[in-house]
Amino acid sequence: MRFYLQKLVFYVVALWAALTLNFFLPRWMPGNPVDILISKLSAKGPVSESTRHALELLLGTNSDQPLILQYLSYLGSVFRGDLGVSVTYFPANVTNIIGEALPWTIGLIGVATIISFVVGIALGQLAGWKRGSWLDNVIPVTTMFQAVPYFWLALVLLFLLASKVQMFPLSGGYDVYSVQPGMSWDFISSVFYHGALPALTIVLSSIGGWMMGMRNMMVSTLSEDYIVTAEAKGLHPRRIMTSYAARNAVLPSLSGFAISLGFVVSGSIVTEMVFSYPGIGSALLTAVQSNDYALMQGIFLVITISVLGANLLVDLLYALIDPRTRVRA
Amino acid sequence: MSHLKKRKLAMSVVAVAAASLLALSGCGSDTGSSKNSAGGGDSAITVFNGATGAISENWNPFSPTMLQPTQGVIYEPLFYYNLAAASEPTPILATAYSWNDAGTELTITNREGVKWSDGQPLTSKDVAYTFNLIHENPALNTSGLNATAKATDEKTTVLTFEKSSFMQEPQILGNQAIIPEHIWSKVTDPTTTINANPVGTGAYKVKSFNAQSYVLEKNPNYWEAGKPEIDNVQYISLATADAASAALVAGKVDWMSSFLPNLKQMIGTQKNLSYVNTPAMTTSLFSCSNAALGCKGAQTDVAVRQAIFNAMDRTQLNKLAAGDFAAAASPTLLLPERDKKWIANPDDVEINQSADVAKATGILEDAGYAKGSDGIYAKDGQRVSVTVQVVAGWSDYISAVQVLTSQLKEAGIELKSIQLSYNEWSSNQTKGTFELTLDSIGLGASDNPYYTYQPRFNSSTTAKVGQDASTGGNYARYQNKTVDAELAKAASTEDEAAQKASYAVIQKEIVRDLPYIPIYVNSTLTEFNTDRATGWPTNDDKYAFAASWKSWDNGIVLKSLTPAKK
Repeated sequence: MRFYLQKLVFYVVALWAALTLNFFLPRWMPGNPVDILISKLSAKGPVSESTRHALELLLGTNSDQPLILQYLSYLGSVFRGDLGVSVTYFPANVTNIIGEALPWTIGLIGVATIISFVVGIALGQLAGWKRGSWLDNVIPVTTMFQAVPYFWLALVLLFLLASKVQMFPLSGGYDVYSVQPGMSWDFISSVFYHGALPALTIVLSSIGGWMMGMRNMMVSTLSEDYIVTAEAKGLHPRRIMTSYAARNAVLPSLSGFAISLGFVVSGSIVTEMVFSYPGIGSALLTAVQSNDYALMQGIFLVITISVLGANLLVDLLYALIDPRTRVRA
Repeated sequence: MSHLKKRKLAMSVVAVAAASLLALSGCGSDTGSSKNSAGGGDSAITVFNGATGAISENWNPFSPTMLQPTQGVIYEPLFYYNLAAASEPTPILATAYSWNDAGTELTITNREGVKWSDGQPLTSKDVAYTFNLIHENPALNTSGLNATAKATDEKTTVLTFEKSSFMQEPQILGNQAIIPEHIWSKVTDPTTTINANPVGTGAYKVKSFNAQSYVLEKNPNYWEAGKPEIDNVQYISLATADAASAALVAGKVDWMSSFLPNLKQMIGTQKNLSYVNTPAMTTSLFSCSNAALGCKGAQTDVAVRQAIFNAMDRTQLNKLAAGDFAAAASPTLLLPERDKKWIANPDDVEINQSADVAKATGILEDAGYAKGSDGIYAKDGQRVSVTVQVVAGWSDYISAVQVLTSQLKEAGIELKSIQLSYNEWSSNQTKGTFELTLDSIGLGASDNPYYTYQPRFNSSTTAKVGQDASTGGNYARYQNKTVDAELAKAASTEDEAAQKASYAVIQKEIVRDLPYIPIYVNSTLTEFNTDRATGWPTNDDKYAFAASWKSWDNGIVLKSLTPAKK
């Protein structure tokens, strides 16, 4: 019990530290939201000298308030679930904006992460089972895809498959010209079609790690005594491969998988940039460009919580699976 | 476990196969005609107004983040000011206005027979309500309006000001959406409402909205008979300029405003595409010019600014940086074509386009500078070396700075440049922490030069270096008592001749002092597809400012369009 309590306290402190950084970092950046809004407005039409005053009143950016008071009221509202009002999308709530963006990100990156894990593990298992087969040669290729900078790989595929051979759309989450969002087949198929290429790039660039890890674990598991016993019993080879070897070999990969699920939200920025995909990454970029403190903080909070949450889960699960990790060294 | 895993694998394989099948079939149906949604003789066009990323619904005409068609397309002003050409205000919701002699009372006569999109009639009470609402809510008062309004009869509204306010005219008449009292009197907080179902007088009303695009449909109650003719207008969000230009070529966008360097080639190969160029913003080197307020650097010397002004080869700059689309600027910072009548000295209408290096070096030598061994002028050990700040990623500005660097070197002036993020650049500019910065002089509320000069040259709109210069703004930290006095004089009269006399004095001062060193009037390129609609503004007929992001003008353009195939 003491172990779990310690873990929980650690995560609470980590969350507090993240929240504090989250508050101060944007405020150290140059520029302020009112300036940004004014310069945007002045591009569209005239702005007068009273605009600044009116905007400050409107946005409640009262810079006279001491920082410490702003900090306390920020902490207070975070725990009430109130993430404030976005400046970029004024007067929309940060919670609503994140709520709209999150499904896109989780849908795309989450599904792609799961696909690459499942396919990688399956291929790694086969490669480990049949050492020296052609599958072993696939591994260097996939690790090469992983080593190449992700944005570059994505740009190359975008150029080849969407621009040259027009197999996939160039950008967006669905076809905005002819489809209305809703629970219709038209919309869902359009979402799948637009998500296919970004998902493919993510799978390509991350499958290598899973495959290699799984293959090597398979190889070492296959030399265990109980495998020899199973073979001696005359069990079907496929049963040995799946139930005896793969089941044990997959354990280390599983914890890695849990952690990578935690990074689903934060890992989306580059993907969404390259494919102009709606989601948390695009929202974060917009927020940073407009010095939208509230929105930035809201997104960082979601990222922090998802990473910390996934880590906590792995920590607790591992302690359950492997009691040795509970003992202090 | 093993069976489960196998099933999972099988399922994911099916999913991947299904997705790629979808991809193929989707592709096949997509490459054909792009718009088949509008069947049954409905006409529809698609507009890209520069929106990127997710769109947030906001039709509140008082909000700084309202969706752009709120102004002009859904709600209308009293008069329309066309900033693309020299013109008088066009009556929209009002038919006449007059000032009293002291400039403290403005009487407005509103148009009869106008209906809101819910069928209720527009009256002078709505007009009065709009202005009183702004007066009572400081957070809505972005224009500094200081007036109370009263509806004296069904069609007359009188605005009463505390002091002479002639210069509020374009703001009140041309830049304020009139709202219906019967709707807004029930709104609890006019500052934060998103006004989900806007009721306006404009040619269009909202049909549907989602975060990637929204559709406006014809307002059947529109007051101008037979207009608008296009049934649906779709606004979309695109990611980048590249995506926009691809969409234009593919015929998926009918109206957009982006700087496309290869535009002329594109138009040459596609008959259905056309463009209009409305140069309006004077791209200039803003200098932190006033040592008394804390500016540092060689550019605080007026001789250095004059030398820079004369050493520029603007023809070359236009070719290499602006795609040959820019127009000649005026040293008075007005627009040569539109504002000719306001420019006192005919020599100041357009800048000499070629460089005059001899004149530039002459100015420096007269001011006591001597050429050093490195070819750069210096005085009292101080080299004439200035740094210009540019926004990273603004490629045309960056190439302009590169060209300028070599041009100024010819005249013995060293130009260095740093690229900054937009936020930092904008913050530096407001605070005056720069030597030179490359920006443009935006449009005023009307073509009266007061709206160009007042924010940028009046001492009251600047501040010490390190403090924010007020909105607008006098970023050059320019202070000149003569200019201040003449601006006050111009603001206190409606008499154009008297105003011209004041502006003549101001122009003399600023053409000599050059706190903003003009380069050229940068292009505003707007591209059209004429397949679905015709009647767009042209270079010969700039009946509205054509840019797809320009607020009030959008409404004028949209109601002037006719479906292409009848």
